[in-house]
Amino acid sequence: MPDKRLSSHAYISLSECDQAIAFTFNSKVIKARSDDTIASALHAAGIGILSRSFKYHRPRGLYDGYGLGADLLLAVDGTPNVRGDKTRVEDGMDVRSQNAWPSPDFDAMAVNNTLVPLLPNGFYYKMFHRPKWLWPIAEKFIRKAAGIGAIDTTGETVDTRYEKRYRFPDICVIGGGPAGLASCLAACQEGKHVLLVEEDPQLGGHSVHTATKVANCQDDRLNGLSEQDAAGAIWDELKTYKNLEILTSTVVFALYEDNLIAAQSKHDLYKIRAGAVILAPGATDRHLVFENNDIPGIMTGRGVERLITMHGVKPGTRAVVIGNHDGVYHTAMLLQGAGVEVLVVADSRSDAATTEAARIVNENGTPIQPLSTIHAAKGRKSVNGAVIGDIAGKVEHASYRCDLIVIAAGFKPQLSLLSMGRVQPGWDEERQVFRVEKLPDGLYSTGDVHGTASFAQLYKEGKAVGLAAAQGAEQPQSVRSKEDIIVALPADIPAKGKHHFICKCMDVTRAEACASIAEGFDRVETLKRYTSMGMGPCQGKMCYEAVARLAAEDTGLSTSVAVPTTVRPPYIPVSFGVLAGRSQHLIPIRRTAMHDMHQQAGATFLNAGQWKRPHSYGDVQREARSMREGLGIIDVSTLGKLGISGPDAIDFLQFMLPGKFRKLATGKIRYSAMIGEDGILFEDGTLAHVKEGYYYMSTTTGNQDAIRSLFWWWIVTTDFDVKIDNLGPIFAAVNISGKNSRKLLEKLVDIDMSTEGFPYMSTRNATINGVPVMLFRIGFTGELSYEIHFPSEYGEAMWTHIMAEGAEYSIKPFGIETQRILRLEKGHLLPGIDTDALTNPYEAGVGFTIKDNKDDFIGKAFLKNFKDRGIENKLIPYKLSAGDAIPSDGVAILKAGKITGRVTSSRMSPILGYGIGLAWVNVDQSTPGTKIAIRLAGGGDVIGEVLDHAAYDPEGVLLKS
Amino acid sequence: MSFMLRCPNCGDRHVAEFSFRGEYLQRPQQEDEFASWADYVYMKENVQGKHFEWWYHGSGCQRWFLAERDTTDNTTQTTFWFDDRPRLINRESEPDA
Ligand SMILES: [Zn+2]
Repeated sequence: MPDKRLSSHAYISLSECDQAIAFTFNSKVIKARSDDTIASALHAAGIGILSRSFKYHRPRGLYDGYGLGADLLLAVDGTPNVRGDKTRVEDGMDVRSQNAWPSPDFDAMAVNNTLVPLLPNGFYYKMFHRPKWLWPIAEKFIRKAAGIGAIDTTGETVDTRYEKRYRFPDICVIGGGPAGLASCLAACQEGKHVLLVEEDPQLGGHSVHTATKVANCQDDRLNGLSEQDAAGAIWDELKTYKNLEILTSTVVFALYEDNLIAAQSKHDLYKIRAGAVILAPGATDRHLVFENNDIPGIMTGRGVERLITMHGVKPGTRAVVIGNHDGVYHTAMLLQGAGVEVLVVADSRSDAATTEAARIVNENGTPIQPLSTIHAAKGRKSVNGAVIGDIAGKVEHASYRCDLIVIAAGFKPQLSLLSMGRVQPGWDEERQVFRVEKLPDGLYSTGDVHGTASFAQLYKEGKAVGLAAAQGAEQPQSVRSKEDIIVALPADIPAKGKHHFICKCMDVTRAEACASIAEGFDRVETLKRYTSMGMGPCQGKMCYEAVARLAAEDTGLSTSVAVPTTVRPPYIPVSFGVLAGRSQHLIPIRRTAMHDMHQQAGATFLNAGQWKRPHSYGDVQREARSMREGLGIIDVSTLGKLGISGPDAIDFLQFMLPGKFRKLATGKIRYSAMIGEDGILFEDGTLAHVKEGYYYMSTTTGNQDAIRSLFWWWIVTTDFDVKIDNLGPIFAAVNISGKNSRKLLEKLVDIDMSTEGFPYMSTRNATINGVPVMLFRIGFTGELSYEIHFPSEYGEAMWTHIMAEGAEYSIKPFGIETQRILRLEKGHLLPGIDTDALTNPYEAGVGFTIKDNKDDFIGKAFLKNFKDRGIENKLIPYKLSAGDAIPSDGVAILKAGKITGRVTSSRMSPILGYGIGLAWVNVDQSTPGTKIAIRLAGGGDVIGEVLDHAAYDPEGVLLKS
Repeated sequence: MSFMLRCPNCGDRHVAEFSFRGEYLQRPQQEDEFASWADYVYMKENVQGKHFEWWYHGSGCQRWFLAERDTTDNTTQTTFWFDDRPRLINRESEPDA
């Protein structure tokens, strides 16, 4: 293996060699430097083929080193689609190629390559459409052949912690090149809080790979310094500002409304809300389209400059350099300085360049060919030759044996983020590139994105833009001097061959594009969709400008109408982990006042909305039986609790709820359904008249925030004079159930607990151990039961006291799962579980709560309509026979092979010894005694019997005892 | 959606702090035709452009307010309390007025 590391360079000083490390590529150990990217290390190790292309499985390698294309997407330590040319190597890293089997060097699918003429244009489009029978085959082909990255679904290989971070700067500068740095400086000097985000580990943008010195800069200290040192000097100055934060190695991948920025820094997601955003994304080399323009060994001018200056890697040994502006000689000079033999510089212009670099290149003996460009590259797995000819593509001048072809055909602005910021680019006829035109409020842009310019010019523009952003002024006009304008490209050479790749991601050739135009897809939008060019992983970042340029040329339309489509996030591949990273602080965890007691009792918890509730204390069946046989207690603090008072309290309740409550005497409780304006049952609860004119309403856990906001909405929009107290968090509550509950309460309170003195569905005030409590005699459990509501701060003390006093009756706590069984034994529905967004309350069996012969109330019009329509389906309780399998929730009910209903809740009843449940059935199956066939999830049926009443204690004797 | 919404009580906040309750509509009278109730419940104008709508600042002051928002770009917003609507919602744009 020839050593491609440079020990010195003739024209620039190379960065000091960092420490030596090692990683693996497809299990092969590769030596690297710690300042290497994966791509530079592989290049130094002589590995040219990094992937295979999407459709034809052509070999692909390092191209521009800018992280734009799909060819450099690799799997790193189990994470797919990592950009190999933007990711630093780390010691011990496991890197794998993605779109090749068994290896990128020998790819079995490469047979596609010989099929190029056979795979029709619009191949995927046609495949996707018709004939229909072909689709399964096409899908298989695409899934197998494409294979762009695979996610480890076992979660075993990737053990990463993802985090979210938040920033709120006055100004966010994206891009730390010369213009970005200067704009930071101006904004900092104005005293603004500034955040600078840079994709690379270092600042300076393209200045870090140039040999040019700064001249004519308004800041005289920078004149005479190398551009890299000048950028370093600005960086040093910026470090003195406390109001600046710099994030390096951080990629902005999305820009949303009102300047919300999403950026990825390794495993962290930054969410940045900025007052103003300055975009300084720079520009990258144009993509030139010619025969075999995709072979490994063809690289862009800035691509080779980066390899040499930033990583000390020699890009090749014999190079042909193609260009159309003065910068091409800078590239050629850097190549020569690195010991690369530059065979020729093909310059499409007629006049020779007069720059210092051009002089050096010439002195070094490299011939300069004016009015010429590349016609074709030669080679299969890597470049072994180049054909140079005239710019019309007609006459070939010479053929060269080389292992490197460098394309420096001018620059295209990186418009992706601007496009996300809703900036429509305009076409610059003179430069033949798209450029930034009008910017929306709060968005600014500066730097090479407006066209290349000298360091001094970028500095001046950056300062002006930074100042404007700090002052909230308009974006200053960007100016470029005549000599900085890179004019039209040499024509992309249509000469010979069928492998002119416009879009490398999707393997779309110019021949394919032309054939599609001939078929009538002659507008950029339709052409793009039909051929799928620009729709691959790079999303046009690499090729958008070539797509538009060639589409315009081949359709005969003006490029000004071939405007690129709006770019959507993300700008780079972002792993799901980054997006889904934890942000727990945004979702409060709510624990009841007795939480620790449950924990001590060995409870397992489940999430009920934001609440943690005990699921069970170990054995659900035993909890249920123990309550039915003696005494149980459950924490019901998470119920919603609203206090309703004021002069119009009763009128308001009459309006909000479907029942009539004027006759609800103090000390009495009534169950109520809650109905929407659409007549749908969405919630239920109890309403207690606790003292004259003061009502206490309890609602279910999950809905309590929604119910509270709903009540407040109605108060805002109506004239009722009502006061609502949100007592949810103020009161803790427990339910004590079982035949011994009265005995326990008699120990705890000194009020009359007899069923005459304190009957079912009534409420009393009392004190327990000096703590004022409200007692409610209600019961979803079907046993004699009492709810105790008391101030939350006494939660633990009250729980401990009750447990101690109840010990003689063997009191046992029970959790949600037991509660679900108990309520099912009583046939009580749970809104949201046994009901859905279409539940007619009459059909759900809560029609008894509706009194529609009253004035205006919510849902009245629709309830009348439902009533007129009659009952079509019914929610019914059912029971199975002992020994029957217990169906899962949600399974179907069948009649004569047709689905006529479904089970909504199904459990084994420990006290009854058989399965019970609630189910929706057609009305003709709802008569008590009807047998219904319930289809088990694993196949086979069980037969249920429709019940009239609750399965347990149907007459409610226990409840009212 | 990522825009900033101005709560009349708390000021500019991320829209994720709020919940949305749809277009501002006039509730029909009970004696109105059932069709107008069906319209009220199920038919939305779904305007392309500016319209009035309800927002609730659930993660903040927990108050309801009205907003005039351009549905095409979420930009032009004025927000105000329900009681201020006679001043801010002109008669022509008031539904069913
Ligand atoms: Zn607020």
